[in-house]
Amino acid sequence: MSEPSIFFAEVNERQGVFHRRAFVLGGIAGLGLLALGGRLAHLQLIETERYTKLSASNQFNFRLMPPPRGLIVDRNGVVLASNRPNFRLMVAKDKGIDPAQTLKTLAEFVPMDDGRQARLLREISNAPRRSPVQIMEDMSWEQFSAINIRAPELPGVTADMGEVRVYPYGGAFAHVIGYVAKVNKSDLSDTGPNADPILLNPGFRIGRQGVEQAFDLDLRGKPGAQKVEVDANGHEVATDPTGDIKAIPGKEIVLTLDSDIQNRAMEIFGDESGAAVMMDCRNGDILCMYSGPSFDANKFVRGLTAIEYKELAQYDHKPLFNKALTATYPPGSTFKTMVALAALENGYDPHTVHVCNKVWFWGGRPWHCDEAHGAQDLKGGIATSCDIYFYQCALAVGPDKIAAVARKFGLGEIFDIGIPGQKAGLVPDTAYKRRAFKKDPVWHAGETPSMGIGQGYTHLNPLQICVQAARLANGRKMLHPRLVKSVGGVERPRGSDFGDLPFAAEHIDFIRDAMVAVTTTGTGHAFGDLGLGQFRMAGKTGTAQARGYAGGTGVHDRNGAWGLRDHSWFIAFAPTDEPRYAMSVLVEHGGFGATSAAPRARELMRLAILKDPELRAKIEKPLPLPEVAPPETDPDVVDPPTPAAAAVQAAQQQPT
Amino acid sequence: MTVSALTRPGERDRLIVKLGEIDWIFCLTITLIAGAGAVMLFSIAGSSWMPWAAPHLARYVLFFAIMIVLSLIDIRVWFALAYPIYGVGFALLIAVMFVGHHALGAQRWLQAGPITIQPSEIMKIGLVLALARFYHGASGKSAELSWWLIVPALLIVAPVALVAKQPDLGTAILMLLTGAIVVILAGLSWRLIAAGLLGVAVLAPLVISFGLHGYQKQRLTTFLDPENDPSGSGYHILQSKIALGSGGLLGKGYGLGSQSQLNFLPEKQTDFIFATLAEEFGFVGCVSILVLYAAVIFMALRTAYLSHSHFGRLAAAGVTTTFALYVLINGAMVMGLAPVVGVPMPLLSYGGTVMLTVMVGFGLVMAVRVHRYSEVTSGKGSLL
Repeated sequence: MSEPSIFFAEVNERQGVFHRRAFVLGGIAGLGLLALGGRLAHLQLIETERYTKLSASNQFNFRLMPPPRGLIVDRNGVVLASNRPNFRLMVAKDKGIDPAQTLKTLAEFVPMDDGRQARLLREISNAPRRSPVQIMEDMSWEQFSAINIRAPELPGVTADMGEVRVYPYGGAFAHVIGYVAKVNKSDLSDTGPNADPILLNPGFRIGRQGVEQAFDLDLRGKPGAQKVEVDANGHEVATDPTGDIKAIPGKEIVLTLDSDIQNRAMEIFGDESGAAVMMDCRNGDILCMYSGPSFDANKFVRGLTAIEYKELAQYDHKPLFNKALTATYPPGSTFKTMVALAALENGYDPHTVHVCNKVWFWGGRPWHCDEAHGAQDLKGGIATSCDIYFYQCALAVGPDKIAAVARKFGLGEIFDIGIPGQKAGLVPDTAYKRRAFKKDPVWHAGETPSMGIGQGYTHLNPLQICVQAARLANGRKMLHPRLVKSVGGVERPRGSDFGDLPFAAEHIDFIRDAMVAVTTTGTGHAFGDLGLGQFRMAGKTGTAQARGYAGGTGVHDRNGAWGLRDHSWFIAFAPTDEPRYAMSVLVEHGGFGATSAAPRARELMRLAILKDPELRAKIEKPLPLPEVAPPETDPDVVDPPTPAAAAVQAAQQQPT
Repeated sequence: MTVSALTRPGERDRLIVKLGEIDWIFCLTITLIAGAGAVMLFSIAGSSWMPWAAPHLARYVLFFAIMIVLSLIDIRVWFALAYPIYGVGFALLIAVMFVGHHALGAQRWLQAGPITIQPSEIMKIGLVLALARFYHGASGKSAELSWWLIVPALLIVAPVALVAKQPDLGTAILMLLTGAIVVILAGLSWRLIAAGLLGVAVLAPLVISFGLHGYQKQRLTTFLDPENDPSGSGYHILQSKIALGSGGLLGKGYGLGSQSQLNFLPEKQTDFIFATLAEEFGFVGCVSILVLYAAVIFMALRTAYLSHSHFGRLAAAGVTTTFALYVLINGAMVMGLAPVVGVPMPLLSYGGTVMLTVMVGFGLVMAVRVHRYSEVTSGKGSLL
């Protein structure tokens, strides 16, 4: 039975058409499959290398590992800045994570009140997805491990061990070393070292101020990387320790500072405002550079609260300010050494005698001195620090010659000590007057007497004054200060390689003798004896007017309001016969140089000599036996002596 | 058993004879493919039977049984039910427009108690059956005629339009191509085929600019330039190519495909399962699977070839076409040769709906084979 409407031939033809076309269709399908096979061959056999790489870069990520920051140590290897472990807790937001709930859970393990939770919640919601926000720092080991054990049930939570900078001595080195702090947006750059993605690591800190800032790139090191397997959402699946790249730690920086002297400086300054700088006057190494009052650099690492910052910034003793470099003061009578040397170099007869009656009339006005010193020669004038002698001595030499000598002693100069912040100050001369005073470009004779006693336009920073003392003490070399001894084992240029002073040796000897006289019979006579056997200290006091007395606001010595008092200066070197250490001490508004600065200088100098093994050996085995030193009377220094000093005192008392 | 013995009346209706007529090599081949699917699903789940491998196998066993049952149904019953199945499918497609279940931005599903019905899947079989039924009664000459073309054209375009509206572009294209190929196999004149191809070439750009949804257009543009936007919409294609290419000759090893195990591959258990296989078993594994697919297509097409009835020929060929298109479109998509259209790899991919459609289709193919000597009349009421 066949189809009624279609006869047989047609049925056959229909079948034939279908068969032919089905054959073609099968062929096309086969070709299609062959094309797929060809494509597979292309992808899997020819381009497989390229895709294998792409697959690996999908599968593995490198997580940056911050390098340990380089240590900062003192001349004896005492660590001044190091790193300690820090257990941190971080939360990142991601799909399917409720940060509020997470924080609530975490609050069971670490202290976190509701206000803090709310603040952190805001921070988390502002942060980009999957970028961790630090919830807590410095967790205890117990807290850290409790959270780490529960980490699988706490998605988005990471507890890790980072490193945080620590300054074991807190404030003593804060101005020199500076501190590290969180990276700001303004620190980041598109190119150069600050384009490194390591800066975005939540634990990374950047150097601010001092050595930490100036040598930031040396201290930073090179970040390593941890190879981690991640899934398509960026979640970590596994780590691959064999693929890790080790971080290269930052370079170690050795400073020329001596931590004992520096710490003692902080102790003896107490709440007083000022600076102390000490140099080895054989090679220029800075043993001490303290600015007081100081601040705890560790607080800056953590981040100051607004109140803490306000307290520091608004305190009138200006703790954030490095007074050893950044502040300039009139040098006062310490400058008389320069005037005297300029006089000698220009043929002034040191036996020239001037009589001091407390008041001297010149140029139609009276010029004052602290007391009536009577008739004195140049050495006597230095020893008693007679202003009336030096008004006349300065007039005899003239400002330009004084300034030329002063500049040879580093006054008004900025030194390359590796850290920023020095202010040049000013040593005036007639050229300066022409340059700076358009309306009155003439140096008036009446301006010279003020310059002769270190007042007037002259203002200098304590580092420069210390360099001046060191060059006087050395007598021959144009010493430069050196603060950074070596960076990563590479020594920086020594301070004794800068040529010689162009002055006659006997003239410098004369000044040094006069400085010995200051601490023997003169204004600093109480401080020449260090109580360390034969070693004595030479020096020069300075009392610099902070405000003009004539205007009625300035107050001499320590009378009146703190901000109106004179600044107290002392420059010194010791031992007197073979100087090794030179220093400058400034006590802001400390009154007479002999009142505040000199006793502090004596204390620091004692410690420097005790720390010098050669000098100490001579003290401990004295040949010949020294006279018994009277017990020290040091009204300003009430702190107990350092253990080293106590040991020496005991040693001294044994022979009696 | 001799041929003459089988020509005895009633002999061919015996169950044991019918079972013997089923192409068991074909059954073995599709079982191998489904088994390979289960192996891959086990790997993707991180060496676990759940959530994919076990359901996949369980479904296959169930659907295989359905296929065997369907293959025993007389071809004349299929013939008689061709238009009703098409009609029901069409009605459901219309119903889905109004009461359909929304999911993922498309309206494709009907909820009937615990069962979710996707009418477009019924329509894939229904369309093939209806076209075969239609051309069964047409002479070779009339199949060429344009007048005769209007009815099949309507049969094709009406459901395709409804499916495209859901929107389910993949299924619509699949149905359109299947329908067109059945019409061609039925004997459409070459001139009309040429004209049709020309028409497609002209209309395609217009359809693309005006007829497509935004996301559909984007799929096309990213297909044309996938690496322009690697983490955006070109992501799927690029990651799939990485999975394939990194597999190399022998693959990364079973369970070691980082692209799939770490979720870089999208839809790794469904549309992109072939990429997973390619990553873990490499070129050798891929070619093996493609050879199995080629064998399935060949055997199914041979069944069509052997059928004595025109209805059987066209129905088997239509089902084969649908299957082949699945394989080719998915393969091309996974390899970055076609845009992402959401067509799974039949039998290999996880998913019950498509597997059911394919197995029902294969039941029809086997029914054609078992009843290849049966006479099918267009006469009304000859059966049923």
